[in-house]
Amino acid sequence: MSAQPQIELVGIDKHYGSFHALKNIDLVIPKGQFVALVGPSGCGKSTLLRSIAGLESITGGTMKIAGAVMNGVPPRKRDVAMVFQSYALYPHMTVEQNLTYSLRLKRVPRAEAKKAADEVAKTIGLQQLMHRYPRELSGGQRQRVAMGRAIIRNPKAFLFDEPLSNLDAALRVHMRKEIRALHDRLGATSVYVTHDQIEAMTMADHVVVMRDGVIEQQGSPLELYDTPATRFVAGFIGSPAMNFIPGTIAADGQHVTLEIEGVAALPIGRNLEPGRRVTVGLRPEHIEATPGTSGQIVLPVSVVESTGSLTYLTTDGAPELTVVITGRSDIRSKDTVGLTIAPERVHIFDAETERAL
Amino acid sequence: MRRILSSITDGKGFDLIMVGVTMLFLFALAGVPLVYNVVMSFQQVDMFNLNTFSRPFAGFENYVAIVSQPEFWLVIRNTAIFVFGSIAGQFIFGFALAIFFMLSFPFASTIRGLFLVSWVMPGLVVGALWGWILAGDFGVLNAILRGLGIIDGTMFWKSDPNLSIWAVTIANIWLGLAFNMMLLSVGLAGIPRDLYEAAELDGANGWQRFTTITLPMMRSTIGAVLALGLIYTLQQFDLFPAITEGGPANSSNVAQYWAWQWSFQLFDFAKGATVSMMMLIFVLVASIVYVRSTRHEVRG
Repeated sequence: MSAQPQIELVGIDKHYGSFHALKNIDLVIPKGQFVALVGPSGCGKSTLLRSIAGLESITGGTMKIAGAVMNGVPPRKRDVAMVFQSYALYPHMTVEQNLTYSLRLKRVPRAEAKKAADEVAKTIGLQQLMHRYPRELSGGQRQRVAMGRAIIRNPKAFLFDEPLSNLDAALRVHMRKEIRALHDRLGATSVYVTHDQIEAMTMADHVVVMRDGVIEQQGSPLELYDTPATRFVAGFIGSPAMNFIPGTIAADGQHVTLEIEGVAALPIGRNLEPGRRVTVGLRPEHIEATPGTSGQIVLPVSVVESTGSLTYLTTDGAPELTVVITGRSDIRSKDTVGLTIAPERVHIFDAETERAL
Repeated sequence: MRRILSSITDGKGFDLIMVGVTMLFLFALAGVPLVYNVVMSFQQVDMFNLNTFSRPFAGFENYVAIVSQPEFWLVIRNTAIFVFGSIAGQFIFGFALAIFFMLSFPFASTIRGLFLVSWVMPGLVVGALWGWILAGDFGVLNAILRGLGIIDGTMFWKSDPNLSIWAVTIANIWLGLAFNMMLLSVGLAGIPRDLYEAAELDGANGWQRFTTITLPMMRSTIGAVLALGLIYTLQQFDLFPAITEGGPANSSNVAQYWAWQWSFQLFDFAKGATVSMMMLIFVLVASIVYVRSTRHEVRG
């Protein structure tokens, strides 16, 4: 995959009047990769996607698709396909007409277009619905038509704008796998915008976390999980979210004093400047809880929730800590638990810059 | 008694009253006059039997008399020019303006609102204005056309028999433009933006987006606008007395004005009724188109 990148963004800037929507975005997407843009709403991820599509103009930087500079090129000449959140199916056309729309515009012969539509319909299981109108389809079926309309064009890149957010939870999980499988089968290059970090983590080869128009961090899903570069990424990736506790590096530089009850000092497995103000991040699933008072942090439990396979503990006091235990637990609400965490699993962020230390 | 009372305030009685009032209104103010008009077109009506309903039956005499009038075909031709010219002009310019105002530029919706002025003005006032604009010797239209070098001499819009029907048609296009533009604007605003974006990504250029997305999505609106346009144009009366009075020599006379002339200038009410009956058939066709097109709303 060392070939020329399929999409290459260098120093992309976008202003809406005085609002700076995208700030100096650099992103290289090799051919065949599935990239997720993820972040809270208003972070610029959709704007970035629409800029790649050409639906938004960029103010600065260079955008290349398959090696060709695309700045100022209209969407119809970019050869990229987009799946919209609303699906944007043409309501006055049947499924087949929706699928063949782009081919008909290109004056592809009718028989050829129909053949292509049939093939695509087979790929995504729409054969029975070819003569229905979008209003006669369920949400999942509409989603498939939107995908089919993108696939039939064999575009240079697929762009997805939160395509699953209108589906119910079960279907969303199913479509997640289906989209990823389709991507692999077609050898496509995909950019996928979502606010759901689970979607990003499960589907993508490469996750780009954005905040306020800036790329906060990018990397493989597990890289982001294991070594978040900032407190924001640490809090965004992973579910339930990471626990954050303010603290100060102890005099020996190898412990941190936490501003929470029930703890003296936590070993951090690295050497940091004593007295430094930090924020400590502990993933709920990395904390071990044992009943009683033996542990690094000893706290009373306020809430115990169980899903059957997992048990969630919430501790009393400020800040609250969430702990995830695999399987069942004997711990009850109001019990006291001892929490232990391996030093290498302790994340430490500078209190000022919020960058990982 | 209590039961009847409670049924009136909350029950079947209430429903019946609501429907009844509407039915009564329609019957008294639309049904009776319509039927009266139909009956009158088959009767001999003169000044002496005007105040009774039982008049001599005339069969199709009135219809035959109307069709054999020397100006009958001229009036039909003029009505056709007026109706189709007005609708075409109002629709094409109205659509163009509606699309223009969909662009986002400063004060777009304010300026669009100002266009409604033409629609709010009474037809007689519009007629008087256009009467002056179209005047042969001192009219501003001639001055503009001469200034642009389009014409050399003077166009006598109102008194040239070849132009007079067009004079009224132009005024009517202006009068109905805003109404068309407003309805079409609403239709345009109802088309989701992402359809255009999807079409653009699918490779459609501006013209293709217009023909494959805008027009089909606007089908029901366009049907309604055209049908209402037909009805309003056949109703348009004020402009005729204000601009040409149907003249010269009936060269700008149309069915609705002719019907009025029969009834209220010649006091031949039977023939006036006959002309309006003939028009009713056209309006009926238009109404069916209107009802059908608004029923087939296609919205995703």
